[in-house]
Amino acid sequence: MKPDPEAVLGHLAGLMLQTIAPQAQPAYLAGTIGMAGILLASLAQEWDRAADRLVEENRAIRDLFRQAEAVALDGPLAGELRALAGGEEEDLRVSTLEAANTGLRAALIALHAAVETQDDATSRALNAAIWAELSASTRRRTLANAPF
Amino acid sequence: MTELSEDRIAAYIATRLPDAREVAVDQLARISGGASRETYRLRLRYRDAAGEAVERRLILRRDPPASLIETERHIEFAAYRAFHGTAVPVPQMLWLEQDPAPLDYPFFIGEELVGFEASPTALLAEPYLSKREQLGRRKWTILGEISRADPQALGLTAVMDPVAPEACWRRELDYWEGVLDEDEVTPQPIIRAAIRWLRANPPPPAQKISVVHGDFRTGNFLYDAAGEIHGILDWEMAHLGDPLEDLGWGLNRIWCWGQDDLRGGLLPRDAAIAVWEAASGLKADPAALHWWELFNCVKGQGIWVSSAKAWADGETRDLIMIVSAWRMFNPQDRAALELMGQL
Repeated sequence: MKPDPEAVLGHLAGLMLQTIAPQAQPAYLAGTIGMAGILLASLAQEWDRAADRLVEENRAIRDLFRQAEAVALDGPLAGELRALAGGEEEDLRVSTLEAANTGLRAALIALHAAVETQDDATSRALNAAIWAELSASTRRRTLANAPF
Repeated sequence: MTELSEDRIAAYIATRLPDAREVAVDQLARISGGASRETYRLRLRYRDAAGEAVERRLILRRDPPASLIETERHIEFAAYRAFHGTAVPVPQMLWLEQDPAPLDYPFFIGEELVGFEASPTALLAEPYLSKREQLGRRKWTILGEISRADPQALGLTAVMDPVAPEACWRRELDYWEGVLDEDEVTPQPIIRAAIRWLRANPPPPAQKISVVHGDFRTGNFLYDAAGEIHGILDWEMAHLGDPLEDLGWGLNRIWCWGQDDLRGGLLPRDAAIAVWEAASGLKADPAALHWWELFNCVKGQGIWVSSAKAWADGETRDLIMIVSAWRMFNPQDRAALELMGQL
């Protein structure tokens, strides 16, 4: 799409926050318009990066599941992780990637809970890799002007 | 959402002021006043029994069809009333109505504190910027006063659920984990890891049972350009518990509005703790406070998750629900990671 949606959404956000909201009455309406501007600014940032962020994250989690094959896990969890590790992104629509991400992150919780209580070197290394991925996941999601 | 009318409010107030004549309400306007109840500003005018004209600026808070936080309005009302006239500044509460008949949903009415600022981001510019340290000292002094107060002497043990000092942490963690279980719209691997750590490393018993405001943060008090605080608002999550719960919530990184390390946008963490300790007469044991700070990341994510679900389910279309979810999920996760040494 041209002009770029990111630029259009950013412009609309600025229009709402800097021009329309300050002139709107009553105050509650101005606040609602301001929030709409904030949401558009967030969307502008997500537009370009969302698919890339999700593909990168889904691949990173699948890689963790492949590493988990070297760790002693109970049968059902090991089987679930093996099945998920074999997937790949073919449909790059954000909704499809999000659905896959939801399943992967749910399984990641189970893997993390299983690994963090084990004291062998392989488990400790995987635990550290999971924490590193969780930290990276927040960097991928950071929005401009976020408080932290 | 059902619209209010000035006539309906005036008719209700007339029933609460039987000696008043010519009761009238005007200038009714909805304002942004917390996401848990609809908040309206209005002007009340009437003649009293002596025939004198009376005019009051009031705030009406009405239950919404859906909310960020499920809360008990009578507890919020009681907390305001308990602290009115004490070292903890709050607006005077006038009437609580549990019957939905007069205005479609339960509500309460109190005085409006007029002419003060509440916005956290207003602190980022003058005339407030240079008053941040003073405001921070007042903020954590007032929290110390809340923590120091005797809930029984305030009459709040009659309306708030009792809790034993050793049970505070488990009750709160159970509740907010339950909220996540029920409302989570996407898996939360960071917060789930935090919950596992919190359960494996419980804090010591509370040093005393205090009134916990429940949402004591910048944005929930009224302040002025002289660095004074005039009203602590939004008591909808008030309960009895460990005073470190409130201290930990206010120190949460998600309230660092200036994208720096000033907690609540006002004071460095250690300075805020020192002010609270001096005012409360209590100690913030570092390990215990760390537990409560991490717990508050769970609580925060519970609130943001609930807001996302309420909007996704169509219970409400208030934009604050989406803003809360989109803007706070990730900072809350990052705050938890930092506290766990994993950021």
